[in-house]
Amino acid sequence: MQSQSRLPANPSRTGAKGFGSLIKWREKMIVCVAVVGHQNNPLYVQSFTDADDALKLHHIVHCSLDVVDERVNNPKKSGPTLNETFLGMLYPTENYKVYGYLTNTKVKFVLVTTDLDVRDADVRNFFRRFHAAYVDAVSNPFHVPGKKITSKTFAERVSNIVKSFGLSSAG
Amino acid sequence: MANFLAQFQSIKNTFDHIIVAVEDVSDLWPLVKKEFEERLPFKRAFLNNKTRNPVLVDELPVEYILTTDARIRSRFPQEQSLFWFREPYATLVLVTCEDLDEYKTILKPRLKLIVQNDEREWFIIFMSKAPLHNDQATKNAKKVYAKLEVEFSSKKRERCCKLDIHGPEANFWEDLESKVVECIRNTLDRRIQFYEDEIRKLSEQRFMPIWNFCNFFILKESLAFMFEIAHLHEDSLREYDELELCYLETANIAGRHRDFGGMDHGDDQASLLDPVKKPLTQIVQDDSFREFEFRQYLFACQAKLLFKLKRPFEVASRGYSFIISFSKALVMHESTLPFCMREVWVITACLAVVDATSAHYTEGLVASDIEQEFYRVQGDLYSLCRTKFMRLAYLIGYGSAIERTPANSASLSMLPWPKPVAWPSLPPDASPEVLLKEKLILQETPRVKHFGIQRKPLPLEPSVLLREANRRRASLSAGNVFELFDGRPNSVDGLAPLSPLPKAQAMAMSRTNSSPGNFDASIDRPMRIAEIYVAAEHALRKTISNEDLWKSLSSMIEFEEKYLELTKGAAENYHQSWWKRHGVVLDGEMAAIYLKRGNFDLAAKLYEKVRALYAGEGWENLLAEVLPNLAECQKILNDQAGYLSSCVRLLSLDKGLFLTKERQAFQSEVVRLAHSEMAHPVPLDVSSLITFSGNPGPPLQLCDGDPGTLSVTVWSGFPDDITLESLHLTLTATNSADEGIKALKSSDATILKPGRNTITLSLPPQKPGSYVLGALTGQIGQLRFRSHSFSKGEPVDTDDFMSYEKPTRPILKVFNPRPLVDLDAAVSSALLINEIQWVGIVVKPINYTLKGAILHVDTGPGLSIEQSHGIEIEKYSNGSPDSTKLGQPEGSRNHDSVGSIEANQLDLRDSKIKLPDWASNVTSVLWIPMRASSESLARGTQAGSGVSQRLSLVEGLRTIALRLEFGISHNQIFERTLAVHFTEPFHVSTRVADKCSDGTLLLQVIVHSQVKASLTIYDAWLDLQDGFSHTGKGDGRPVSAFFPLTISPKSRAAILFSIFLENTLVEEASSTDSIVNIRYGISGSRSNGAHAPTANEPKPNGAAKLLDFRSALVLQRPVLDPFLAVGFLPLPSNGLRVGQLVTMKWRIERLKDLVQNADSDINDEVLYEVNASSENWMIAGRKRGHVSLLGQQGSRIVISVLCLPLAAGYVRPPQLGLPDVDEANISCNPPGPHLVCVLPPPLSSSYCVPAA
Repeated sequence: MQSQSRLPANPSRTGAKGFGSLIKWREKMIVCVAVVGHQNNPLYVQSFTDADDALKLHHIVHCSLDVVDERVNNPKKSGPTLNETFLGMLYPTENYKVYGYLTNTKVKFVLVTTDLDVRDADVRNFFRRFHAAYVDAVSNPFHVPGKKITSKTFAERVSNIVKSFGLSSAG
Repeated sequence: MANFLAQFQSIKNTFDHIIVAVEDVSDLWPLVKKEFEERLPFKRAFLNNKTRNPVLVDELPVEYILTTDARIRSRFPQEQSLFWFREPYATLVLVTCEDLDEYKTILKPRLKLIVQNDEREWFIIFMSKAPLHNDQATKNAKKVYAKLEVEFSSKKRERCCKLDIHGPEANFWEDLESKVVECIRNTLDRRIQFYEDEIRKLSEQRFMPIWNFCNFFILKESLAFMFEIAHLHEDSLREYDELELCYLETANIAGRHRDFGGMDHGDDQASLLDPVKKPLTQIVQDDSFREFEFRQYLFACQAKLLFKLKRPFEVASRGYSFIISFSKALVMHESTLPFCMREVWVITACLAVVDATSAHYTEGLVASDIEQEFYRVQGDLYSLCRTKFMRLAYLIGYGSAIERTPANSASLSMLPWPKPVAWPSLPPDASPEVLLKEKLILQETPRVKHFGIQRKPLPLEPSVLLREANRRRASLSAGNVFELFDGRPNSVDGLAPLSPLPKAQAMAMSRTNSSPGNFDASIDRPMRIAEIYVAAEHALRKTISNEDLWKSLSSMIEFEEKYLELTKGAAENYHQSWWKRHGVVLDGEMAAIYLKRGNFDLAAKLYEKVRALYAGEGWENLLAEVLPNLAECQKILNDQAGYLSSCVRLLSLDKGLFLTKERQAFQSEVVRLAHSEMAHPVPLDVSSLITFSGNPGPPLQLCDGDPGTLSVTVWSGFPDDITLESLHLTLTATNSADEGIKALKSSDATILKPGRNTITLSLPPQKPGSYVLGALTGQIGQLRFRSHSFSKGEPVDTDDFMSYEKPTRPILKVFNPRPLVDLDAAVSSALLINEIQWVGIVVKPINYTLKGAILHVDTGPGLSIEQSHGIEIEKYSNGSPDSTKLGQPEGSRNHDSVGSIEANQLDLRDSKIKLPDWASNVTSVLWIPMRASSESLARGTQAGSGVSQRLSLVEGLRTIALRLEFGISHNQIFERTLAVHFTEPFHVSTRVADKCSDGTLLLQVIVHSQVKASLTIYDAWLDLQDGFSHTGKGDGRPVSAFFPLTISPKSRAAILFSIFLENTLVEEASSTDSIVNIRYGISGSRSNGAHAPTANEPKPNGAAKLLDFRSALVLQRPVLDPFLAVGFLPLPSNGLRVGQLVTMKWRIERLKDLVQNADSDINDEVLYEVNASSENWMIAGRKRGHVSLLGQQGSRIVISVLCLPLAAGYVRPPQLGLPDVDEANISCNPPGPHLVCVLPPPLSSSYCVPAA
């Protein structure tokens, strides 16, 4: 498991704005992103927490598939968003939020964030970039479709996307 | 106006239906009251809702109250407008009158007075008391009623109706109901209008300082209440919703500090479903209400209406979001609230909502998706409640009872600690409790997972409680916590003894450094973890007023019980919803408790569900958490099959998930069980662990009937070597389903290394078709295992075992039976019969090796193998045999310049020939010396007749039966019978070319070459049969200067012999033929056809051996050789008559000279004889005698015989015969007549008749 440093890479954020800004940045944190295959099998689960607790994020991602299933199988509920890839917030809990995204190949992206006031637009933007990264990763001729994504480049790119998440609105 | 709140509340509490006033003008009410009230409530009432749309109210309860009732009379006008909802909605005026005058004078003015108030909705009920039999009274009553109608009813609206007390008036009650409802509807409309106007006025001031929420609330709730008593629940609910919105909008206006509430005893128990728990007057604060109580009150009102609307599912879903949002509000005020107030409130709220909604909920009434959603929310509520409950339990030291599963960790570790202003401190007299807790902590032993798996436990806490609690005690610095860690390492939270969380320490350090001011502030000793627990317990005791909840937290056992109950509730509800995964995961949580309690059966069942869920979707990390527990249960239950499969599953998980040591433990368990005495040996599916695949590259290709060896790559997922006692591999034919499974066996024990192994299996002959790998079975100890999974030439990657797909790539192809080899005669042209000839057999492998092949040669009758000669084999040059070798002498052939052509001498043993290895894959020719024997002598034919040539073709045919055994184990057999054509070198035909005048015959002997080789005739002679002899020298040879004569293949030549016929008579018995002898040489290649016979020892200087050919010729003497001609001379022209003599004359002429008969005695005499029928003819003269005839050709003589015809008619004339001369030598020319006409005798009396 890769342990993502919580300190921001951008020195201007820590130096100039000080500790308060750091706190604020940390609140914007994505704790986990995941790619789940069309058979609901995990293809890529990456947590961005310090503690050795990736398993609980696996659990959260796995359980969030319930909601994805529910939305996909219940066309009544999903209604006009049926054709949209962005599934929105899957479920709110008191402490974290889970967002989902469904590609047209039925691959799901799940995002777990502890930021409770995240903006939909940020998440959409995140997923769009993530989707692009994913498409690039699986276009690799050496990637076996349906297998776990092991590409280091992909991991790096994802971690960059995660780092820059919400920067536009972070202030 | 706020003062009216109390009054409003009391009105609301006592008043719950619409009232209708009864103006009893004529004191009739007591008479009819019972009947009126019997018909309540109104069954079908159409009322208008707020948007003026008619709404059907099924039951509208109404109360009739006399206008003289105290409840109506004693009201102040101000109250009336404020609480207008409780005023009568209709006024019934009960009147009776029997006299028109009385009506005019008394009743009418009074009624006018009553109805003048336009505000009220009224109508008049005229009661006729007239008995039925009293016509007069009835008539009067009718008159009065008619008058009444004229006076009070208008065209727009009928305001009168008539009730006949003594007569049945069926329509009256319907009429009455509709009129009352109409009045109520009108009143309601008006009042709604009124309230709406008032509310609008007030809400416009919403953001002004004079805004008073209480007033707004009273108006709004009055309207809501009015809707409620009119059973317009939907509208009422909308009012409450608006009220809530308005409250949330205005209550939190910045700058106004308000008391939040929730400080009273019992406030920890949620009252979100109980609107009357606390009177509103108690929660009034300035011009508004305390948030804590008021929001719960509003929700309670909404819930009440929703229940009335039979929508418990909506209560649940609204309840859940209310609890979440309210919980957030509680966080904002956490500092003022009692310790853990929020958690306790959420727990009670969730339980209250769950209980109430499930009590109101009846299954199957709503659409299934709503139902599923309902259960989902129930599950969410249980789950939320469970989380908070766990949190409380953790705080008072039951953390060790909470399984550190991913689910629990996910819900707890991201949930912040409660943030009281100051962490509760230890009560003074709590030291015994602290000791007790410490003892408990020390006694705790972390449960060791099965197989000795040691994992860092997942966190249940957002940060270390010890640090958090001490930090929250204002007087403490975090630095001391660090000291505490060092001092008492065993009690770090009491829960993570294995690793003291170095990161957390580091963070604590850094925090200390960043706030140095705290260092010297430490007066108080930091609390130890046991103290924190005790302190929290005391604080909670104060907070929790619900005895049940407290009881659940009072001991570990009680906690577990409640925990199980909540988990079960959540799981069961999730199971009925869409969220199956949530349900199954919670099943796993229950299983942990059951496992701890020793209820292994149940635990195993639940764990199995979880396992299936994770395994089904390939979540290996989560699976790795569950499987050891499941295995433990199975082991305790002695479920060997399950235990084994769990071990196998553990081994099949991603290698990174377990340490090698742990994986070895799994394997040793498998091996131990496999070699133990299992009561019921179980088959084991190791598909995920042992996978196999064919080797890359094209499939093994075999011909039908061939055995082979199959090499298979087997991947072992075991961490160590594993010994397989046996190994079988099945092949499945792809072309036919029924042609099933062929098992290949590797009998001896195989040891699989971890990773890739190559296993070779011998393959018995298979039916034609293409085969894919089926399954791998085998035995480990007594354990039969089976794997049907395929790897694609890479280490087994178990994450795709669910996308398991049978490879279509065949591993073995067995071809349909096809010719693998061909045996054929090398030459099609004929060979020499009766000579040793090389019979060539072309052995042509057709893409198949003939290694070790054995050829059986069985010659047919008339053909034998010359054992004295070796058998040769050589490479067969494609196409026609080399033309360069054609015509070359046979001897030089072997020393040909073509060195590349391999040639071998082979031995023939028991008529078997073993083919050399070099000939395995190339077409080769096998030359076998053979001799075809034929006893019969060739016979020449007459030139031009081709019949006998065909015959000789059949005679020359010989057969060779060949049998080739080849293939890896001589399993392939090819049989063929070859026909070889043998022939004489020549076919001889004869013809007499010319017949000379001197009797010499020129006999042309035509020799026709029958072979494809050039023949050279060195000598030829003719042995003539009797009757012929050679002319000239007489040795029968043609001119020798012609020889040697070379005849090209299939061409002919002719030799002329000059012979003549002997005149000697040939005895019949001697029928010998003439023989033509030809001495010839042959020059041909065996690859073309006939060739020189193999000599036993090669002749010096390579001279070809001369051969002899004999052929019988049939010479026949000429059939007709006339040398005498007999002619019948003409009879006299006057005809023959009976009794009249006539001379018959024959002329004999010699046609040939009698030269050769010169020495004979009878040289010039010819014996003649005349034959005639004595009945017809009488011969006068000699019938028989010799006449002399000169020997010279052309000499002639006439024989005359006198004859007397005896009978008339056509008779046969006498014939002249020459008995000494063969008839063949007589030519009748001209021929005599067959019949002559004999006329009757002339008429005469003296008719002489010969004596009889």
